[in-house]
Amino acid sequence: MVRAALGTGAALGRGPRRLARYWPAASVAAASTLALLPIVTGLGWGPDFGFLLLVAWRLLRSDAIPSWCAAPLGLFNDLVTGAPIGLSVTAWTAAMLLLDLAARRTMWRDYWIEWLLAALLLFMAQLLRWHVDALMGAPYEFHLIWSPWIIAVLAFPLFAFAASAIDRWRLGR
Amino acid sequence: MAPPTGARPGWSRRAQYGLFFGFLAVIAGVLIGLFLLGLSIFAPSAYAGVRGVALDVTAPVSSSLRAVTTTADGLFSGAGNYWDAARQNGELKAQEKVLRRQIIQARAILNENMQLKAALQLRERTPEAVASGRIVGSSFESQRRFAVISVGGGDGVAVGMPVRAAEGLVGRVIDSGATASRVLLVSDRSNIVPTRLLRGGQPVIATGRGDGTIDLRPLEVGKNPFRRGDIVVTSGTGGLYPPGVPVARVVRLDDDGAIALPMADPGDVSFAIVQHPFEQAALEQAEEPAAETR
Repeated sequence: MVRAALGTGAALGRGPRRLARYWPAASVAAASTLALLPIVTGLGWGPDFGFLLLVAWRLLRSDAIPSWCAAPLGLFNDLVTGAPIGLSVTAWTAAMLLLDLAARRTMWRDYWIEWLLAALLLFMAQLLRWHVDALMGAPYEFHLIWSPWIIAVLAFPLFAFAASAIDRWRLGR
Repeated sequence: MAPPTGARPGWSRRAQYGLFFGFLAVIAGVLIGLFLLGLSIFAPSAYAGVRGVALDVTAPVSSSLRAVTTTADGLFSGAGNYWDAARQNGELKAQEKVLRRQIIQARAILNENMQLKAALQLRERTPEAVASGRIVGSSFESQRRFAVISVGGGDGVAVGMPVRAAEGLVGRVIDSGATASRVLLVSDRSNIVPTRLLRGGQPVIATGRGDGTIDLRPLEVGKNPFRRGDIVVTSGTGGLYPPGVPVARVVRLDDDGAIALPMADPGDVSFAIVQHPFEQAALEQAEEPAAETR
C-alpha cells in the first residue's frame, strides 16, 4: 500500500485486468506445457511444472483456483506430458483436499511452513507416480525419485515467486 | 489445538452451500481421477485415440522449438570445431587410413557372406523403413523414458513398430497420432529387448533401468560373459526387432551381468527410422504387451 503510494505510476484507473479470475488456472495450464520444451535427456530430472505452480497458487491464496479446478487442470497435464491419464487428476485434487485440511490445522503460516508443505506434497505425488509406474510394468528403483524430488523442492520458491508476481499483475497492484 | 468444527463462511446459506458443493466436487474429482487412472492401468488401449490427438497437438510445439535449439547447438559445436582444427585434422587423417583398410576388408567379407548365403539358399528380407522423423522431445520430467518423434499414422506408423537410428536401436512405438508418435526407449524399465553378445553370440536379455542405462543379463547362468566395451545387438528373437541392430555398450560389470549405455543416445541421434516389425505377425502380438506396459 505504502509502496504503491510512493510509486510514480498513475494511481487512477488502476484495477484488476480483464479476466483476472481466470489467470491463475491459465498460468497452471501454461506451466504444464513447459514439459513440451524440446529437452531430450537420457534420464528424467524435471519437476512436474504444473503441479508446482498449482501448489504455489493454493498456498498463496486459497481462493485463486477453486479446488475442483484441479481435476480438469490435471487432465490437461496428463494429456500434455504423456503421463498415465488420471494420475495428475487424482494427485492434484487430493493435494487440494490435503491443503484444505492443512489450512484448518496450521495455527500460523510462514514461508518455511509453506515450503515444507509443498515438499511433502511433491514427495507424495512422486510416490504415487512411482507406484503407478510399477503397476504399469515399469518398477524402476526407488532411489531414482530422490533427485527429481530435490530439484522440485528447490524449484518451488521460483514458482511461488511466479505465482505472487502473476497475482500482483492480474490484480493491477 | 483442535481444529474448528467446520469451515463456516458466515451466516449466508448460499455461501455455506457453495462451500459444501465445492467440497463434494473435489471428492468427485478424486473419484473420477481414480477411475481414469484405473482405466489407464488395466485397459490402456482405451485412451489410444485421445493420446494420439494430444500428441498431434503438442508435438508441433516441441518440433519448432527443437529446430531453434539444434541451430544454437550447431553454432556452438561449429565454433568449437574451429578451435584446435590442425590437431583434429591430423587425427582424422590417421583414422581415415585405418578405416579405409577396414572397409576393404569388410567388403570382402560381405561378398563372401553373400556367396555363402546364396549357396545355402537363405532368403532374407531386408526390413524396409516405414518412415523417418526427428526426435523432437522426451519425457524429461518423468522416470519413464519416452521420446516423441515427428512421424505418425499419416506416414504409416503404427503402435508396436520398432524404431532405430543409424547408431542403433531407439525403441518401439507405443502411441501414435496422425503426425507424431511416442516411442518407448530401450532405457525404459518396461522395455525388454532380446539381444546377443556381438563377441561370441551369447543370448542376453537387455532391460532398461529408467536412468538412461541398460541392465544386461546373460540368458544362461554361469560365468559373467561381459567385458567392458562389449556391444550387444538385437537377436531377432520374438520377431519384433530386426536382428543385428546395435543396442548397448557395456560400461560396468556387476556380479552376474553388466550395466550398459544405449548406442543410440536419443539426445544425439538426428533421425529415427520407423521400420516394420521383423516378422509381420509380431505386430499383432506386440500390440498387447505394448499396451500393457504403457
